[in-house]
Amino acid sequence: MIKLTRMAAMATVLAVGTAMYSPAAFAQDSIYVPNLSYRTGPFAATGIPLMNGQRDYVMMLNARDGGVGGVKLDYDECETGYSTEKGVECYEKTKDKAVVTQPWSTGITLQVLPKTNVDKIPILAPGYGFSPMADGKIFQWAFNPPAGYWDAASMILEYLSGGDMASLKGKKIAFLHLDHPYGKEPIPLFEAMAKKYGFTFLPIPVGLKEMQNQSAQWLQIRRERPDNVIMWGWGAMNAGAITEAVKTKYPMDKFIGIWWSGSDDDMLTVGEAGKGYKSISWSQPQPDSQAMADIKKYVIDAGNSLVENPDVDTKKVFYQRGIVISMILVEGIKAAQEHFGVKAVNAEQVRWGLENLDMNAETLAALGATGMVPPFKTSCGNHTGHSGAWMLEWDGAKFVPVSDLLQADQSAIEPLIEQKAKEYAEANAPWPVNNDCKE
Amino acid sequence: MLNQIFVKPFVDMVSAPDFLLQVVWEGLVSGVLYALIALGFVLIYKSSRIFNFAQGIMVVFAALTLVGLHENGVPALLALPLTLVVMYLLAMAIERVVLRPLVNQPDIILFMATIGITLFLVGFGELIFGGENKVMITEQLGIPTGSYTFEPWGGLLILEQKDITAVIGAIVLVLALLLFLNRSKMGRAIRALGDDHQAALSVGISLSTIWVLVWFIAGIIALATGIVWGARAGVSFALEVIAYKALPVLMLGGLESVSGAIIGGLMIGILEKLFEIYWGQPLMGGNTETWFAFVLALFVLLFRPQGLFGERIIERV
Amino acid sequence: MLYRTAGQFKTSYKADHALFPVRQDAVLLWIIVFLAVVVFPLTASEFTFQALLIPVLIYSLAALGLNILTGYAGQLSLGTAAFMGVGAYATYKLITIFPEMNLLAAILLSGFFSAAVGAAFGLPSLRIKGFYLAIATLAAQFFLVWLFEKWAWLYNYNASGAIQVPNIDFFGIRVAGPTAKSIVQYYFVLGVVALMTALSINLTRGRIGRIWKAVRDMDIAAELVGINLMKAKLLAFAVSSYICGVAGALFVFLWRGAAEPNLFDIPLSFRILFIAIIGGLGSVMGNFLGALLIVALPVVINTIPDALGLDIGAAPLEHINTMIVGGLIIFFLIVEPLGLARLWQIIREKFIIWPFPH
Repeated sequence: MIKLTRMAAMATVLAVGTAMYSPAAFAQDSIYVPNLSYRTGPFAATGIPLMNGQRDYVMMLNARDGGVGGVKLDYDECETGYSTEKGVECYEKTKDKAVVTQPWSTGITLQVLPKTNVDKIPILAPGYGFSPMADGKIFQWAFNPPAGYWDAASMILEYLSGGDMASLKGKKIAFLHLDHPYGKEPIPLFEAMAKKYGFTFLPIPVGLKEMQNQSAQWLQIRRERPDNVIMWGWGAMNAGAITEAVKTKYPMDKFIGIWWSGSDDDMLTVGEAGKGYKSISWSQPQPDSQAMADIKKYVIDAGNSLVENPDVDTKKVFYQRGIVISMILVEGIKAAQEHFGVKAVNAEQVRWGLENLDMNAETLAALGATGMVPPFKTSCGNHTGHSGAWMLEWDGAKFVPVSDLLQADQSAIEPLIEQKAKEYAEANAPWPVNNDCKE
Repeated sequence: MLNQIFVKPFVDMVSAPDFLLQVVWEGLVSGVLYALIALGFVLIYKSSRIFNFAQGIMVVFAALTLVGLHENGVPALLALPLTLVVMYLLAMAIERVVLRPLVNQPDIILFMATIGITLFLVGFGELIFGGENKVMITEQLGIPTGSYTFEPWGGLLILEQKDITAVIGAIVLVLALLLFLNRSKMGRAIRALGDDHQAALSVGISLSTIWVLVWFIAGIIALATGIVWGARAGVSFALEVIAYKALPVLMLGGLESVSGAIIGGLMIGILEKLFEIYWGQPLMGGNTETWFAFVLALFVLLFRPQGLFGERIIERV
Repeated sequence: MLYRTAGQFKTSYKADHALFPVRQDAVLLWIIVFLAVVVFPLTASEFTFQALLIPVLIYSLAALGLNILTGYAGQLSLGTAAFMGVGAYATYKLITIFPEMNLLAAILLSGFFSAAVGAAFGLPSLRIKGFYLAIATLAAQFFLVWLFEKWAWLYNYNASGAIQVPNIDFFGIRVAGPTAKSIVQYYFVLGVVALMTALSINLTRGRIGRIWKAVRDMDIAAELVGINLMKAKLLAFAVSSYICGVAGALFVFLWRGAAEPNLFDIPLSFRILFIAIIGGLGSVMGNFLGALLIVALPVVINTIPDALGLDIGAAPLEHINTMIVGGLIIFFLIVEPLGLARLWQIIREKFIIWPFPH
């Protein structure tokens, strides 16, 4: 009896407590930068190094400079496990005081995209999200610098053609992708390019449940004998695909992945056998850079990092890409601080900052990050920056660059961005558009 | 259209027999794995009427423990028995904490409890081992990693050595298990419990000992599955979904039949691969493997409600 | 004391069969209604609406749908999420084909598509039972989700394969889409859920409900006393899927705002099954209690370390969260296998005779 009453009482307290719960008020002595992380679930393999990089860069700034412009950054992770539902919950939880939202999955990005217009919070989705977000006039609150998926698709094709797109005529290119909004993103561009240059485009979807068992997909690749395989994989799918490729003896040098399929950890499963596999990337590890030295000094040696084996893991592509992502965000905050003359900037001001990013060679040098990301610049009409990217190749132990900076064919991408952005705005009418932007 | 459904796939099969063989082989290897997982389900169901949904996560947990121990400096050949000890402790904990208080509850409650175990183990496993994709210690365990290449009919057939090892290992495991169930005293006790709980109890068979034993055997099977599957694609929590692949095997083979699980597993493995390659990919946009086995099992069940090998259910009012 | 039933006399047969024969139950209901209609909306923050109030209602409705099938008619189903998906996609197609259509009408109509699909996948229940049937419903789960991926017409050939909810007005008030106010969405959901709940209560305690219970308790015996098993089972599948379909439509249109196919994958089905079982099979109220527990608990757990000033990383917290939810499921099953609804009944009975022990 007593037990039951007590339980009932507890339940009531719990229920009332939840109903009354609301995020606590906050003080304006710091800038709150939440990150919708995914360190758990089937995609954790991709997420962990990225989140570690992002976190360590912010930690380093707080330790070295006391934050940005004298204001500490309050970095906070909200775990989504790459689940859209959790992601939206995290967005709602953090939006009251956040100056930015970093949704991480294309699914979450699509979900919060319309909400940010209302809540006035910029989305920062470096190298992922919804490609038409590049159109800043329509997607005022969304940013995907330094390059979008369509840039990637165009650059990969250019690399394959060796500079002469006409040479792709008659070739067959298979597109192994995750059967998820993320994997489907580049299909419109590939289809347009296939029509234009006369190659055969063969999409091969990998279901979420098949990520680790892709033998059917690779049997199909064996049967179809494509000239090249392009992969848009995430998390456990990458390792699965590369293992199968090794197994079916598909020539590794004909196999190219998107930047999210270029994680050192995925390649370690196959090691030497994966030699020749390539991944396009807008970031490059620079273990000897000043930024990395500072991170080692202020964060790793101080024992504040979550990285397990600092000597090995901090040299990996994904960890350093996480650093670049935080760098882009911080530069946006800096720009906003300077422009508005306010220390503790708010979300709307950060939006301005992200729209007026200028990551030129000098800025990068000043950050001690030369070569970690190509220089780029955003504007009110161009929220991506289209920085271009490098082709990295797995040499059996690490990724090394094998190309100069590649540039996407903007003449093919621009009309598509404009068309899809317009379609999106029409489907979601009334959609606010920035008519002041005259680009 | 009709031509594409009824003629072309078979023409394709005949015109490239080496490829057909490769497809069948791939299907066979998956089938062996499905059969192994299904076997774990069957053993537990037979002896305790529990539909053990946690079998999938036990596979992940066993594989992670093995790799995790090795990462912390335990030599591979010592990590293997240590993992078995962990699986035994897990079986004991499950029996003590979950099963014993739930004796005599309806089936669905026990089923839910195993889902609770699944969630608990997912959280626990990730907390301890982290969510990263890990590499199975294939070489350290002495599993060969090369492959044999044949050229039948001028084509190409690639047989991975680790797949061959997996098939042989699975056969040995199944034979040992059958021998144990049919010849040893404990094995007979398990089967007796499966036939009639009360009668078994009244002749002095201890329920809790048998349950621990059965869950432990399921743990051994899980470890074997984990090693084989992990060697193919790395060890991570995404492996958990393979548990779903064993469910149609159970429908097809019957929840209580060991031979049903094996034959059902192989059948589904091969048929779903053939269907995906020759019908699914050309005609339906691929990825039919997610549902093909279920739909196949559904049709079989419509005609044989107890599955292909299940015991006929006689109901009385 | 509070629940003293002494002095409440029933003078007619009808009064004895009222929904709330005990006056205090009715009072309690009015208190809950008052809380739900007046107090919560006035005090809730945006976060509370989006992370607690609206999802609890929607999940309760979905669990109610499942409960009719599993708790009342005794057919275990693991395909709930797929039937919710049918409702959501049907609403999406209706809304985009007929933009003038009233959202409420579209949602209620979409339930019929879901009901038809549910009845079709319910056909095997005539031959198979128990876990075999449960696995058979998984066929629906996996096949339908695959169909949502592959059938581009369903998502209007959208490149990303996801559906996005447009802005929709309901009698001049914005109820769906990014600019809709949470409080409006809450009232809309509350209205639909209340309507569905009232219908289900009356359905389950009437003739049909009794037929279902007979089938659940022993279908062969039920057949022998003249119940048409086929009709009863298929009706249970249809009604259950109808409610799930409506819940699915609300899920996407009034809460999520967008959906990709794998949203309706098996974890959602399991989540709803948890709610139904922890709440109590064969109870309407149980679904609400279960949803409150399963939805609110992780949200609350996530806020505890902050409140205590502990610095646990996001990932370990999530792991601990999963562990606690798993552990709690086992705990509740052990403490009270019949669910929270039964627990409430026991408490209520104690109250009635309080302060006397017997």
